[in-house]
Amino acid sequence: MSKLRYLPLLLLLLPPFYLDLFWLQAGLFVMAAAIGAIGLNLLTGSTGQLSMGHSFFLAVGAYGYVYFAGESDEHLVGLGLPPVVAIVCAVVLAGLAGLAFSPIAGRLSGVYLGIASLALIFIGQHVLFNVHDVTGGYNGRAVPPLEIFGFTFDNSGDVAPFGIPFGGLEKLWFVGLILLGVSALFALGVLRSRPGRAMNLIRDQQTAAGVIGIPVARTRAAVFTLSSMYAGLGGVLLALTFQRAVPDYFGMLLALDYLAMIVIGGLGSVTGAIVGATFVTLLPQLLTRYSDSLPLVSPPGTGGVSPADAARYLYGAAVVGIVLFLPAGLRGLRIPSLTPRKETTP
Amino acid sequence: MKIRNIIAGIAVLAVTATACSGKSADNGGETGSDGVKTGPGVTADKITLGSLTDLTGVYATLGKSITQAQQLYFDELNAAGGVCGRTIEVLVRDHGYDVQKAVTAYTEVQSKVAGLPQVIGSPVMAAIGANVANDKIMTIPAAWPSALLKAPYVQVVGSTYELEMANGIDFLLKEKGIKSGDKIGHVYFEGEYGESALAGSKYAAEKAGLKLVEQRIKPTDTDMTSQVSALKAEGVKAILISAGPRQSASLAGVAAAGGFAVPIVSSSPGYSPQLLGTAAKPALEALFYQVSSVAPSGVDTPGMKALVAAYEKKHPGELLDSGVTFGYIGAMVFGEALKKACAAKDLTREGIYKAHQTQSAFDSNGLGVPLDFSKPGQPGTRQTYIHKPDSKAKGGTTLESGPGASEAANSYPFS
Repeated sequence: MSKLRYLPLLLLLLPPFYLDLFWLQAGLFVMAAAIGAIGLNLLTGSTGQLSMGHSFFLAVGAYGYVYFAGESDEHLVGLGLPPVVAIVCAVVLAGLAGLAFSPIAGRLSGVYLGIASLALIFIGQHVLFNVHDVTGGYNGRAVPPLEIFGFTFDNSGDVAPFGIPFGGLEKLWFVGLILLGVSALFALGVLRSRPGRAMNLIRDQQTAAGVIGIPVARTRAAVFTLSSMYAGLGGVLLALTFQRAVPDYFGMLLALDYLAMIVIGGLGSVTGAIVGATFVTLLPQLLTRYSDSLPLVSPPGTGGVSPADAARYLYGAAVVGIVLFLPAGLRGLRIPSLTPRKETTP
Repeated sequence: MKIRNIIAGIAVLAVTATACSGKSADNGGETGSDGVKTGPGVTADKITLGSLTDLTGVYATLGKSITQAQQLYFDELNAAGGVCGRTIEVLVRDHGYDVQKAVTAYTEVQSKVAGLPQVIGSPVMAAIGANVANDKIMTIPAAWPSALLKAPYVQVVGSTYELEMANGIDFLLKEKGIKSGDKIGHVYFEGEYGESALAGSKYAAEKAGLKLVEQRIKPTDTDMTSQVSALKAEGVKAILISAGPRQSASLAGVAAAGGFAVPIVSSSPGYSPQLLGTAAKPALEALFYQVSSVAPSGVDTPGMKALVAAYEKKHPGELLDSGVTFGYIGAMVFGEALKKACAAKDLTREGIYKAHQTQSAFDSNGLGVPLDFSKPGQPGTRQTYIHKPDSKAKGGTTLESGPGASEAANSYPFS
């Protein structure tokens, strides 16, 4: 019985066969955001370390991939590595960037780390705008498509399983599912084992954690590094979906979006991060798409509340509502008949 | 048990996927009852076009003007019976100059439209360029870098930033007493726009024996004090600027306040009539010139008079900037392409683009210079107008000189 519960997840394989490109793209943005949010949730939700610099590590992942996989030309430099190798390198690079910051992350906690990591965004944006050769400056740079053993994930080629033509987004969908699945399982593994319990104790009782022999600073630093690797992977998937990496995108607002995701979804849980990422990523896109037929939201340019603003108000309200009424986030909304009773461990 | 379930699940998926998916490999190429071949965005009674515009970001004023002017043209076209018995409908999507939103919006509209008569923003155009070529959608960008001349299915309407600056330098030589050996400054945005303009000014300056002093700025820099003092220290006799309106206002204001009264010539995106409501107004009216591919709104031609009257009737009290004129010309170019495609009985995306390329002497009835779209890789024209800010004129500028093309502009090589 318990295994059968996971069968509905197979339905996630269906969308490329049915939905149009808008939905597939929105879905891929959700998957990318979910990977990043899982990473942030490990850090903020489970370990109690506030990070405002998440968008910096997303940018490192995105541009790392573009740099490693891209080819050099007269304006830009790239290493031209095979894309799969480039993804691994990009994630490692994001990890290294996290590691470089971890002496600070290990020592500071809570709000202090939040403020220190805020600096990363500003430094990051300055560097991104000015390292023309790598980032393409203000206008950004095209992202080379993913290629695995000669199979390219773009609109080329005549791939049509079951008679349905597959373009780049359809093919990427499956890659996104695999990456998200692996990321989620790994995070679950971490949370349910020894390091996870250590992280929770550091969050709840830092002194007690130190007393029973948990290396507090080292664990914090390690979680920070892991979280930046998650952000790096999210950044890579984001770049692949986007097909273009623009420095402007990786700013302060993006970092706040990620914080909103984990608060709305539920702090400290993997499902929560995924639910929150879905909510925060889909909301503005849905509002824009259906702006013609929604009350209160006016079509862009006519004055009044634009869809983008409306989305921000809505999830501002959602954050407040959830903090007040649903302390466990949207994840805490359980439908009794569908949810198995939780077995309590002593 | 578990394995069997999964296998059963996958089998069910496979069957449903083949049986009833709405997505099909067939993408256009149908022939309607009237014998006209149709593609995506074209039905028996409607042609749908798309606009990716900026109504909430930095170019919101421009986006609004272009969108309203294009809607005006298509309304007039529909009132006159539409094209091929079909009415034209425009899907407007606002991206607020945010590339991610633009990419999302493009993905959403691409399967529903026959063409894109408006795309605002060089970064946006760069982001969707590969897809536009792949989806064969004729697109008119509200951007004029020469890099877009080569892009398949993208039609730059007007001359390019290179040619604007070449003509601007020619204006300085002929009218403002700049002579060989003088120094002139060029303040430009990093990125495609500024760098295209710089390529033009470098070429023309070298031909005329001028020495160019370059000042590169970012779109986020709005205070031009340090640029002005650097150029003043170099002793430049004139300044070119390829930036946004705010930078232009700051440059003119700071220069005038410091007693550094040299002529300033701007690329077309560097001026907006709203600047005349700011403290920079006297400086702009005294020192500033704008190079543009479209005629000022006050010019006395039948096309412009009709446009101004219709636009003022529909949007009373609203700004008549060059965006209105440009937007209207762009919509006209598209409308003509559709009419030609209809005559050839081929309203597929390729059919529309092919019909468009047969227009070798497109005449906008005095809104701009005649354009030649039959030579891919070359600009439609090398001529430009020089505008001068004037708070009393309609649209905030009067015609200073033009249209015309300088020798440097005529010989500028688009490699």
